[in-house]
Amino acid sequence: MVATINTHSNLSNLLNHLSQKDNISECLTCGACNSRCTWFAGQGGPIPRQMVRMAALGLDEKLVKSGMLWDCLICNRCTQGCPMGIAMDVVVRRGRSLAIAAGKIPFDIEKGIKSRLETGDVNGLTREEFVETVEWVSEEFADEMEDPNATIPHDIPGSKFLYLPNPRELRINLLHLTAMGKLFYAMEETWTMSSFHTDVTNWGYFVGKDDIAQRIARMVVAPAEKLGIETLVLSECGHGYHVLKFLLPELIGRKPAFNVMSIPELTLEYAKKGLLKFDPTIHPHKIAYHDPCNIARKSGSYDAPRELLALCCDGVVELTPNRADGVCCGGGGGILQDSTSTKKRMITGRPKADQMKATGCDHLATACLSCHRQLDELSTHFQLGIKVDTVAYLASQSLVL
Amino acid sequence: MKERSPSILILGGGVAGMAAARSLKHQDLSVHLVEEQEQLGGKAALWACMATNTCKNCGACLSREMAQEVADQENVSLHLKTKIDTLKKTDQGVEALLTSGKTILAAKVILATGFSPFNPAALPSLHSENSKNIITTAQLNALLKEGKLEPLLEKTPTPRIAFIQCVGSRNRELGKDYCSQVCCKISLRHAQKLVHVIPDARVTLFYMDLQIIGKEIRQTFEQLSEKINLVQGVPAEILEDPDTQALTLVTEDRTTQSRIAKLFDLVVLSVGMEPALGLNETAALLEAIPNDWGFFNTRDAAIADNLYIVGCAKGPKDILASIQEGKIAGAKVIEDLGLGKKPDITVAVLGDGPQAARVARAVADQGYPVYAFGADPDTTLPRGSRSLTLAKILAVDGTAGKFAIYYDDQGKKETLSCGAIIAAPEPCTLPNAGKGDFQAAMDLNSFAKIPPKEVPEKSLILLDYFGPQFKTAARQALTMAMAARKAGKKITLLMHKMLVHGALGQRLYDQARRSGIRFLRFNTPEDIEITPQKKGFHIRLKEATLPDFDLALECDCLVLPESIRSCEGFEAIAKLLHSSLDREGFLQPANVRHRLTQSPRKGLFFAGTSHDEVDDHDLRKEIQDIIASLHTQELPPKKIGVTIDEKRCAKCLTCYRICPHAAIILNEKMRPQIMEEACFSCHLCVSNCPAYAIESDKFSNDQIVNRVVNQIENREKKDQVVIFACERSAALAADKMVLPERTQLISLPCACRISCDMILKSLINGASKIIVSGCHEGNCRSMEGSTTARLEVDAIARMPGIPPGKIAWEPVAANEPHKFECLISRA
Repeated sequence: MVATINTHSNLSNLLNHLSQKDNISECLTCGACNSRCTWFAGQGGPIPRQMVRMAALGLDEKLVKSGMLWDCLICNRCTQGCPMGIAMDVVVRRGRSLAIAAGKIPFDIEKGIKSRLETGDVNGLTREEFVETVEWVSEEFADEMEDPNATIPHDIPGSKFLYLPNPRELRINLLHLTAMGKLFYAMEETWTMSSFHTDVTNWGYFVGKDDIAQRIARMVVAPAEKLGIETLVLSECGHGYHVLKFLLPELIGRKPAFNVMSIPELTLEYAKKGLLKFDPTIHPHKIAYHDPCNIARKSGSYDAPRELLALCCDGVVELTPNRADGVCCGGGGGILQDSTSTKKRMITGRPKADQMKATGCDHLATACLSCHRQLDELSTHFQLGIKVDTVAYLASQSLVL
Repeated sequence: MKERSPSILILGGGVAGMAAARSLKHQDLSVHLVEEQEQLGGKAALWACMATNTCKNCGACLSREMAQEVADQENVSLHLKTKIDTLKKTDQGVEALLTSGKTILAAKVILATGFSPFNPAALPSLHSENSKNIITTAQLNALLKEGKLEPLLEKTPTPRIAFIQCVGSRNRELGKDYCSQVCCKISLRHAQKLVHVIPDARVTLFYMDLQIIGKEIRQTFEQLSEKINLVQGVPAEILEDPDTQALTLVTEDRTTQSRIAKLFDLVVLSVGMEPALGLNETAALLEAIPNDWGFFNTRDAAIADNLYIVGCAKGPKDILASIQEGKIAGAKVIEDLGLGKKPDITVAVLGDGPQAARVARAVADQGYPVYAFGADPDTTLPRGSRSLTLAKILAVDGTAGKFAIYYDDQGKKETLSCGAIIAAPEPCTLPNAGKGDFQAAMDLNSFAKIPPKEVPEKSLILLDYFGPQFKTAARQALTMAMAARKAGKKITLLMHKMLVHGALGQRLYDQARRSGIRFLRFNTPEDIEITPQKKGFHIRLKEATLPDFDLALECDCLVLPESIRSCEGFEAIAKLLHSSLDREGFLQPANVRHRLTQSPRKGLFFAGTSHDEVDDHDLRKEIQDIIASLHTQELPPKKIGVTIDEKRCAKCLTCYRICPHAAIILNEKMRPQIMEEACFSCHLCVSNCPAYAIESDKFSNDQIVNRVVNQIENREKKDQVVIFACERSAALAADKMVLPERTQLISLPCACRISCDMILKSLINGASKIIVSGCHEGNCRSMEGSTTARLEVDAIARMPGIPPGKIAWEPVAANEPHKFECLISRA
């Protein structure tokens, strides 16, 4: 097999913007990235330096054919220690966006994007279905709280908060939505959901297509601004957090007219103000915390979820390594959203499973529903016997009303 | 000591500061040397000896001897365990208040505060704080020095040891986008030492671009590459197995096309250099502003008046270069104060190329009459100097200050009396283009002459193909590539490694990549297949970072740097100068006692590529170094303590022949005569005179034997171990030690002073064991002195009637007190 260097390949033209940390010609070929891939050793997976080198030499086709682009979890663990500050997520996403890579996009992701653009929800939940689901959940919630004023509201203009749920909260994990409702209820603030844009995800990020990412982002911004809310509250979602909290101004070309916070961050703020109280004895044991890469390493939010978790249990246990060096759950970069990847995810998740086991804990929390699903599956697959929850869910359980 | 004027303040008692103090020795100056630590020596004093059976030329042992010398220097006041409280600029210079309360009014300040090793805690994924098996090079030195490495690894009979290079260097994210210059060499020496100490150790060295630069380093590298595993690519993460404590590094495996985990028992982080803590504050008090890195090695750093910054405070460099810089600064201080008297000597410069011409001009500009042998006819020298383009040197006689050069100038036999000789011939520059497959290739020097706009559209510069490139060629290739790139040409640089020497080397390389020059890497020349085309070349390459497939390249022009080799003529030059060649065939042996520019023969200097891997910058330093030596050559006469008894002398000329310093000449009566100013008092002549005609004031056989006997009698113990120790190595190592009752140490000027007589008489008089201890081979100031001693000891040990183990030779360097301790405890 022979390849020829192409100094003006499509990928080369897409890259090389130092400001975006994707100037691959900066690569010293030091190989630091190779030692830090979450795929760890001996199980295949991408070789980070090769990806950068193929991109740098304009070997677009080789890169696409290598399969590394979609094996990559875009967790940026590899380039965390890059001496030249290259960010692998940008490189890989640009690679995925190449026209010649179109056939490699997993079917589920393509379908999800289509649904998202057409209906506002990756699972194709229509506006009517949304309203129906939310209103039903709302009734259940009022019953549970034994308070007719306890609701899961939608489309209420002038609310202080707009809650952007994870699609899972509208289908298979409705309990999580109720739990979030309880937090808002306890805050005693006005809040709402919107039937015009149902979820927090932006799979345009996974496929690296800026135009799609922009369209999805605008679908969030327009109704939010129309409702006149103060703060957009994100459900626990890693890439959603990274896109909406960090990339949003860049995507829509301006600052949005609202603040962006995740639900654990907001809850912690109210706890700090003394407006929310938690009973740590509800979980009278230690709970381990997993850093979602998109929230921790890629967005720099390490402490808020830990602080909130600490209020709701007997203490937070760290996985090793953690924070900026944290290991991806093995489901990042769109791999979790690809239903054909289950077997692969049990390989990519192996290091995480080892880490979880090493904590000795039987309860683990995270701040991302995707990580949550992957970690839960790891616990079952590797028979770890570890219960997995999200931080906000645990907070909701521990609330003192 | 009487207070003199003016005062010179030296901050930092490491090798650079001590070298500066030393070069102020014979001046009417008060030198104040301020050092934070309890003793002089700086970082070099903490360094372990890197010698295996032979010296590896790191120079760390020198700090011990320098400390002694400076402490004994009459015009130096030491301020140990002292810091600067405040510094104030005044009209007269600088007023310094020391933490001791003392105030010093200094005319000049020499800043030699050294460096701090990078703290790897700043790179948390290395987990250097969590495991005792992850250590820095500095810690490895401490372990080696204290003999604690073997215990650390005793659990594993075949310990797996990894070195990770560039930890805290070449890292823009950390604000350290510079090469620390010394770490590759240090790790190579460390690796060599480890496989020597623990022969079953399996050493892997992970590097970014191995900086194979310097004297004899190519040979070291070649030998070592058979013993250790060299891997391109530096792991950035170390994970420790909580149960076994094994350390895991993940690296790319070329054969299986995947990343695999490798287990190690010890990981050594080859940490870079950063400015010493507090350097910026001290410098700021003197209105000096360092560059972004905190050093003073680039033009954007500003150095204030009356301030000289030397050693690693200025920028990363090795021990010998730090010593050189300190020495030059001292000479500059003398010059700037208008002190010192330039000796009235003529200087001969040998060499037929641009480097010799540059040396000749620089020396002549200093006011010395220069005779430039072999100089290019175009070399212009000031009045009083001469270019002897066609002269052929027939013989060189005499010694420092009194050389006689017999030469033939176009048929006319002449004699030149001169005070110093500088040898700076050109090495052999072998073109690689124009032969075989490379018929149509172009030499780098020819390529460099083409105006960038006229360079062929697509050019490929191939480095390291014919052996590790010299740094000058690598730099030239990079500079030319950038010029051509600027003119819009497509340039590819195919290399085994990029040499990023010099302060701005890394930044230059960064710029080059950013400018669009493509850099490709190969592992071995076999990975490249070059096919000449009708026009240009076709190249098929197994790129080092992309092992999965081959790369096909086309270029209009293939550029090959010339190879630099030693010349056939070097041997003749060495012979003429009473010197020898290094292991790679270049001039000047690698002995650190005389490098960088000097030789055991006083007044004989070396400069340029013929003796070391130097670039323009280094050559400038070498010239300054030599001029500093010339300025201080006329030293007050000293007592050497060795005389030839003419009555007993048989004129066999053994002494004349063997003197390593060429300090014995034949006088008018054709009798050997010792030239005091050239003699180092090594006593080799004393030990070897067949007629016992050379006498020593303090170290005659009888005197030494008496010393041994007296001590044995004093102690009334028969079971005595007698150690004959060289005063520059073993005796220094033993210096602060309390020796056991049954051990006595006899200090010798050089191990070669040992004699059969001495050893046998010591044994007869009750010594139970004799140890002769001196420098490692290659480290002896008198060159073969320690080797001579070792051979002598071996011969005596094999004599009939001498029980085994009774007499032993043990090399111990000045910085090996622990080794010395072990030696006496074993005895």
